[in-house]
Amino acid sequence: MLSMKNISKVYQTEKVQTHALRDFNLNVDEGEFIAVTGPSGSGKTTFLNIAGMLEPFTGGDFMLDDVNVGTLSDNQRADLRNQKIGFIFQGFNLIPDLNLYENIEVPLRYRGIKSAERKRRIEECLEKVGLASRAKHLPQQLSGGQQQRVAIARALAGKPRFLLADEPTGNLDSLMARQVMELLEEINREGSTIIMVTHDSELARRAPRNIQVVDGQLADFTLYQNKAMDEIAAKAGQPAIEA
Amino acid sequence: MFLHYIDLSWRSMKRTPLVSMLMILAIAVGIGITMTSLSVYHMMSMDPIPHKSDKLFSVQLNTTDDGNNWWTEDDVPLQLTYKDAMALHNADTPERKTASVRALFTVQMDDKEVKPFLASTRVTGRDFFPIFDLEFVYGDAWTSEQEASATPVVVLDEETNDRLFAGENSVGKQVYLDDTAFRIVGVIKQWRIHTKYYDLNNGAFNSPESIFMPITLIAPLEIQNMGNTNGWKYEEINTFQERLQSEMFWLQFWVELNTPEELKNYSDYLQAYLSEQGTKGRFERKTPQFNLKDVNEWMQYNKVVSADNKVLVGLSFLFLAVCLANILGLLLGKFLRRAPEVGVRRALGASKRQIFIQHLVEVSMLGLLGGVIGIAIAQLGLWGVRFTSNEYASLATMDIKMLLAAPAIAISACILAGIYPAWLVCRTQPAIYLKTQ
Amino acid sequence: MLEIKPVFSALLRSKAGAVMLLIQIALTTAIVSNAAFIINDRIDYLSQETGYPEDEIFSFTVKSFDPNLDISQKFEETETMLRNIPGVENAGLFNASPLSGSGSATGLSLAPASERGPDVRTAYYQADENALDILGLSVSQGRNFRADEVIVSQTRDVFPQVVIVSRALAKELFPEGDVLGQTVYFGSDPLEIIGIVELMKGPWLQDSKPDNVAIIPFVSASAFQHIIVRTQSEQRAAIMRQIEDLMLEDHGKRVIIGLKEMDVRKAEYNSSNTLMLRMLVVLIIVLLLVTALGIFGLTVFNINKRTKQIGTRRALGARKSAIINYFLVENAMICSIGVTIGSIGALFLGRVLLEHYSIPALDNMYILFTALFVIAISLLSVLMPANKAANISPSIATRSI
Repeated sequence: MLSMKNISKVYQTEKVQTHALRDFNLNVDEGEFIAVTGPSGSGKTTFLNIAGMLEPFTGGDFMLDDVNVGTLSDNQRADLRNQKIGFIFQGFNLIPDLNLYENIEVPLRYRGIKSAERKRRIEECLEKVGLASRAKHLPQQLSGGQQQRVAIARALAGKPRFLLADEPTGNLDSLMARQVMELLEEINREGSTIIMVTHDSELARRAPRNIQVVDGQLADFTLYQNKAMDEIAAKAGQPAIEA
Repeated sequence: MFLHYIDLSWRSMKRTPLVSMLMILAIAVGIGITMTSLSVYHMMSMDPIPHKSDKLFSVQLNTTDDGNNWWTEDDVPLQLTYKDAMALHNADTPERKTASVRALFTVQMDDKEVKPFLASTRVTGRDFFPIFDLEFVYGDAWTSEQEASATPVVVLDEETNDRLFAGENSVGKQVYLDDTAFRIVGVIKQWRIHTKYYDLNNGAFNSPESIFMPITLIAPLEIQNMGNTNGWKYEEINTFQERLQSEMFWLQFWVELNTPEELKNYSDYLQAYLSEQGTKGRFERKTPQFNLKDVNEWMQYNKVVSADNKVLVGLSFLFLAVCLANILGLLLGKFLRRAPEVGVRRALGASKRQIFIQHLVEVSMLGLLGGVIGIAIAQLGLWGVRFTSNEYASLATMDIKMLLAAPAIAISACILAGIYPAWLVCRTQPAIYLKTQ
Repeated sequence: MLEIKPVFSALLRSKAGAVMLLIQIALTTAIVSNAAFIINDRIDYLSQETGYPEDEIFSFTVKSFDPNLDISQKFEETETMLRNIPGVENAGLFNASPLSGSGSATGLSLAPASERGPDVRTAYYQADENALDILGLSVSQGRNFRADEVIVSQTRDVFPQVVIVSRALAKELFPEGDVLGQTVYFGSDPLEIIGIVELMKGPWLQDSKPDNVAIIPFVSASAFQHIIVRTQSEQRAAIMRQIEDLMLEDHGKRVIIGLKEMDVRKAEYNSSNTLMLRMLVVLIIVLLLVTALGIFGLTVFNINKRTKQIGTRRALGARKSAIINYFLVENAMICSIGVTIGSIGALFLGRVLLEHYSIPALDNMYILFTALFVIAISLLSVLMPANKAANISPSIATRSI
């Protein structure tokens, strides 16, 4: 259902060409929970942005649910993103002027969902992340962990097929990080496909499938035990996990 | 969604109150100044009789020698001589036509109750009323027999009738004008026009006359005109009769021509008339020259809107442009600082179009607020205009058109200023702003 | 140290904002220089000397409606009555009131009308030998009328034989040489010039020849008669208040209208000029204010955007003055390009106004002074936010936001 074949991404500046991704191949099946690791600057975020159609790619084929993303216009990509993909960011990226309820409402509005249905879904999602009583609060009145849970609720509200998370626990302490991870696992059990970029090896190990991006290319460890990661990473001449 | 955008705009304004106020103030001041000068311009140039302004024509005949200069753009005198005006007035064609001239009479009743007062009077033909669409409250215009026999009859306007007869039907009653008894035959509904387009001689924005009497009374009563009298050659004039026979210009002449055919026929008629007069040796002119200008052409020809007014309107719009450049600069800063939020919205599925519209709604709101405050500033400005100039007192107001135009101009101007910043912000790559804050 | 190059490259990067500022400054320069020029032109016009003691004179119009009245006789009595009012210096009949926008003009020529010579356009007043005294004038050359030279008549059968002219008219009639004693023709009537008044304006200040005036000693009292009165200036208002009653007491069958002070009449005649003047003053004040606020707002934005960068510069050892200079230099660069374009725009605008709207040719000094003024305002508007920027703590650089 998500399939990337020979995807490449080149950043072109006046003098330098930078290959962020090259010959990137990946298939993701329904219901998977994938952790993406890799050193800084290896292309993890670029991969995630392309998967979430936030950035165009330079070459290769990208199919999402039988739709060839490469042929879509910007507006079509926006619609597809709105319907199929939920985002969770390291910095939470809640809109500071909007309260929790309104933040979660944003993607639903863009999808043109009616007010009553929006209300039902938002309350359901807030319930799920345990913040139902705080609907009228502004983001800055919440702790980081709570903010991230709101961000997750916002990502879930649109009932996306894919949840893309970029360092979702990066700004959180370990206790909160664990809570957020548990929430993601629960969401995964309920059927959502999750792709999570992380630095945290412990969290990565909890995911059923691990992939590593090195120099813009993919190393897939799915068939190996998680503990073998370090060895293979060493083979690639890079530390697999940053401290 | 639109209401939602308005809600977002309102929040955005509250988030940066100082900058928002600055922008609203800039547009308000721009609109205020522009609307002040534009309102005056609008009132001055407004078509005073829209439904038939293209059917009423002012007649000019050039009965001067070739090479004689006049201060009009084509050297044709603005008014007619008495003999030409009366000749055209008494002609068979067209159906409605009239010579007219302004005079001044002392009005008095035969009692001591009403203190004598001066009334501006139009000495004219009975066609004057239908030509300029004057309606009667009581009675009617004098008859053609009365006009032909120079009967002393008058038509009053409503205000004069109120003053003399407390608004009662005065038809048949008497009034003394300069010690001559006149019988009242009609009272017209008050004539309200901003521009005295039918006689632009002594100020284009004076009120119309309040009394009307048959033009045939000029000769028997030796009525002196109160307006411009211009000659172009030396004539010995010692008696009123000599004055009537002179080449001096002092009367206005209007005709109503309803079809291009009538216009053509009347042009031919004037051509023939002038040729005939030329052969009498009144003037030396190779080809007959005359003008038939409709109301709007006539107003332009007489420069009713002065150059100063046009300059002011032009400068005001340049001023508005400065305000727009100002707003555009501030909007750029404001919108671009919001790029991270836009990134999030884009990631959550907003299309470029939706982001673009959201920002245009925001600038439109600024425009609307600025426009409304601008109207208040314009009212202040117009008050200043009325305070400075009596002449402009009736012109320095905003009619409904201008009241609606103010926010419309403000919003379009803001949208114009907002398009570029909104376009910039909607095409930012969302990915850049998502990674870190 | 002025660091032009880095400022310039930073400018190029944020070009849209800079371009807007530039447009604003250019338009402001173009508008203000032209508006200031027009303002000055109108001030000159409105404050011009007219030759009359305007605060001592008032005039009014009498409309008589008694058909049996000997009008000439009656007005003789009226004049005497007026001259006897305490505080009145002199009073008399005129055919027109100076500076009022209403009067008579003719062409005076050096040959009788039958010879059709070239003529000189001039306004003329008809009054008796008191005319100069009533208007507060005196001859600088020649003499005043004698009483026996004044013709009082209802017809033109007899016409005066002398005339007093303004210096401007004398010069135009006789560009070189003596004027006194020369003969000019009013139609076919010869008039000998017996006196010259240095300065007196006609009824129309906006006439093409406002200074060409002749006074003809001819009194033809009419049913519609102007009367001019000169008083002691502090008594004028009080006298004006009683004038209508006195006039009606003098004779009942008349109406008094248009009772106005000479300066008020002049102001009314000039009201559209005053209006233009005031509107332009408001326009340029507000315009400069808006531009100054715009520069201020944009600088504040720039500083907010670069807070961290400024902190870093400070951390790396930049002095406060260096930070202030940075913004001043940035602004001065935009501003000088702006006023340069604006000056060209001003010339262009001036030409358009000259060609299409009969505004006199723009004096280039106005552009220069406006440009300097705009630069000064612009630098002042930057100074405050730049000062604030200079006070940004270097520690900001080490904090992440």
